[in-house]
Amino acid sequence: MTDGRQADPGAYEEGDDEHALSRADFLKKGAASAVGLGMVPLVGGLGNAAASMLPEGVSEAEIRRGGTLRVGYVGGGTAETINPSVGVTPIDEGRIQAIFDPLVLLNADLSLSPGLALEWNPNKDATEYEVKLRPGVTFHNGKTFSAEDVIYSIHLMAKPTSAALPFVSGIKIRDLKAINKTTLRIPLKFPDANLAANFVYYNTWIVQKGEKNFSRPVGTGPFKFGSFTPGQQSVFKRNPHYWAHGGPYVDSLKIVSISDPSARLNALLSGQIDAMAQLSYAQAKAHQASHDINVLVSHAPQVLMFYMDTRKPPFNDNRVRLAMKLIADRPALIRDAISGFGTVGNDIVGKGLTFYDNSIPQHTRDIPRAKSLLKAAGREGLKVVLQTSDVIPGFVESATLLAQQATAAGVTIKLKQVPASSYFNPSLQYLKMPFAETQWPPSSLKFFYLQALAANAPFNETHWHSKSFNTLLFKAIGEPNHRKAQSYWNQVQRIQWSQGGYLSWTNADFVDALSKKVKGLKPSAAGILGNHRYQDAWLS
Amino acid sequence: MLAFVLRRLVGAAAALLAASVLIFTAVQVLPGNAASAVLGRNASPAAVGILSRQMGLDRPASTRYAHWLKGFVHGDLGDSAVAIAQGSNHAPIWHLISGPLKNSAILAAITALVMIPLSVALGTLAAVRAGRPTDHLISLGSLAAVSMPEFVVGSLLVAVFFVGLHLLPPVAIVPPGGDPLSHPKQLVLPVVTLLFASMAAGIRMVRAGTFEVLQTEYVQTARLNGLPERRVIMRYALRNALAPSVQVLAQNLQYLVGGVIVVEAVFAYPGIGSQLVNAVQIRDVTVVQSVAMLIAVVYVLINLVADLIVMLLVPKLREPV
Repeated sequence: MTDGRQADPGAYEEGDDEHALSRADFLKKGAASAVGLGMVPLVGGLGNAAASMLPEGVSEAEIRRGGTLRVGYVGGGTAETINPSVGVTPIDEGRIQAIFDPLVLLNADLSLSPGLALEWNPNKDATEYEVKLRPGVTFHNGKTFSAEDVIYSIHLMAKPTSAALPFVSGIKIRDLKAINKTTLRIPLKFPDANLAANFVYYNTWIVQKGEKNFSRPVGTGPFKFGSFTPGQQSVFKRNPHYWAHGGPYVDSLKIVSISDPSARLNALLSGQIDAMAQLSYAQAKAHQASHDINVLVSHAPQVLMFYMDTRKPPFNDNRVRLAMKLIADRPALIRDAISGFGTVGNDIVGKGLTFYDNSIPQHTRDIPRAKSLLKAAGREGLKVVLQTSDVIPGFVESATLLAQQATAAGVTIKLKQVPASSYFNPSLQYLKMPFAETQWPPSSLKFFYLQALAANAPFNETHWHSKSFNTLLFKAIGEPNHRKAQSYWNQVQRIQWSQGGYLSWTNADFVDALSKKVKGLKPSAAGILGNHRYQDAWLS
Repeated sequence: MLAFVLRRLVGAAAALLAASVLIFTAVQVLPGNAASAVLGRNASPAAVGILSRQMGLDRPASTRYAHWLKGFVHGDLGDSAVAIAQGSNHAPIWHLISGPLKNSAILAAITALVMIPLSVALGTLAAVRAGRPTDHLISLGSLAAVSMPEFVVGSLLVAVFFVGLHLLPPVAIVPPGGDPLSHPKQLVLPVVTLLFASMAAGIRMVRAGTFEVLQTEYVQTARLNGLPERRVIMRYALRNALAPSVQVLAQNLQYLVGGVIVVEAVFAYPGIGSQLVNAVQIRDVTVVQSVAMLIAVVYVLINLVADLIVMLLVPKLREPV
């Protein structure tokens, strides 16, 4: 190990002479340090770390190869796609995971490890990167993967209609350069000490140079394209030449669109599918008790929040915002709105991710203090309207509960329900609501803050505009020294915690279900259904 | 008779034209256009502008209506707006919906094949046994069935036949291009659910019609002449009783077209209903428009055929007015 990390020898696959940290090793060290470690190694030499390893405590002999794994997801009709750079929903993520690979893997514990890129070497002020790519990787059509493919993919991401735009907006796209087949130069508009973290999310996965309409997509991933009928199903075949170790173990993968939640569960119960995404909380409770299927619960950094417009009265007064944070009874919200499938949120985002500040005290319900804050602000008997929507499970429930909880502090919250299709659409309701709810699935702190709180952030829900905060944020993003960066990030988070417009009440779990015969798919904080890693799965 | 048919045809065309205007306007009224719906959270004004132009949404509504209607009449339903916005350069709607359309037609046809004879048989039986326990049983049973929404009936049937008895599969997964008839077991629960919801009106109408005819003088005369009851009913009563029932049965068929939407969702059956629900959710305007219009065409066609059948059954209508 080049940077002095310890490796757990027991975690190596037999005959594997490459270096890798096991998940168990990470977990033993606790979330904070594990995450810290996960981030650093991608700067500088990493070695040829193996990206995929056998699931813990499993020997090659136990694994049964063959068969078809059938997975049911919420369908999206004609909006379903295999193109990573457009808007994707979980069913699209499943397909992208099957066909393509990322430059950087986001592991189950939110640590990072090398995907198609092995090294990220920044210059001194982190304004330019030299990226070393994994050699010897081939596309499904036999073509060798090279720097040109990465450049082409980044160009797709940078299109104005691309959903990946936020991840590449700091890159000087025109100056991207392939130094040789496996080395790439990425110049930046501002210092970024951790560019690798931009390339984990599904929108940024790597396609082949020249790919245009994805009608017969070719990737480097664990499965080859078979067929795709949007809104119905797609089929993938095992890629026998996959560069990572072990999988895939199943011969083929079938992804089925079943939008109705009880039909999806019935299909699993009757054996017509083997795994299903997004089990409802109530169903999860019932089946955890009956043990007829395996309920897959992953603690995730997916955060559910109320947000307040920090520029409009009454929330332009921080005492009112703080009072709202003290009114919320978070454990009760989690218990009653999402059936207990979540951990308590602390008004900052990214629990479990690198640079998350665990040292900040937890906001808890304090009605007397909330009342005195409101009194000091001249807002006793406050009346506000909270806009909610059934777009995300738990939104309407939590809004209803918050309204009840607020009466204790003399605050009247009136609920107004907005159609799901308008709620997150900036050309309709989104960003125009002074008090509403939101959900973020952050893959890094940087991602969330650049999108929601930086100057010119596209999704500035709280209408947060602070020059000094912005300067601090970009210092944190650009600081190459990990300890210094952490201290900047801590300051950024303390400001949000004490003054921000977010009331983050929970980090909600991912809840999915597997039939008893599906093995190898483990809970992952990185995405639903074990982050869709079907290359790790087998059927017993 | 020709005049009658012509009149009906012109009426049907006018109804369809009105429907097309209504459908097109209704879709326009939905908040936000397809471009902004596809982009969702990424619908910045710039991105919406670019996609709208790509999708031709920046042209005036009247131009888009004319273009759509012309295509529809020529059998060209156009491309799925959302699929185009997602980067496909070719996504013909007909290609997307022809499979589901066939699946739905199969489901509706099987249901109709069972429903029509069963409604007539049960309705006639109830009329013949009017006031007796058989009549009460049929009337009450059909009323109870029609009072329950499809998703309740569907869930109850799943609870009994899958969860309880493990006899029938709870969902009907048909692979794209596959034949639903190759897994007949999967079709049982959807068909039975549709029957529950659609049969009651037919049964009651047939019962009322037959009951009325059985009280008429010519039936009494036939009976007094000593004709066997069976012959009286089959030969004289039923034929006249059926005329008003044909309209009701036609309505039932039309109901099937709408009823499959809910039933398909409950059983995850890949038909036109599931397509329509999905298209509405993601605001795929072109798919919504075309599927709604197709359903309107089916409605009008069923009405037309029913009118013609009634005309054949009731000779009086064939005479010029």
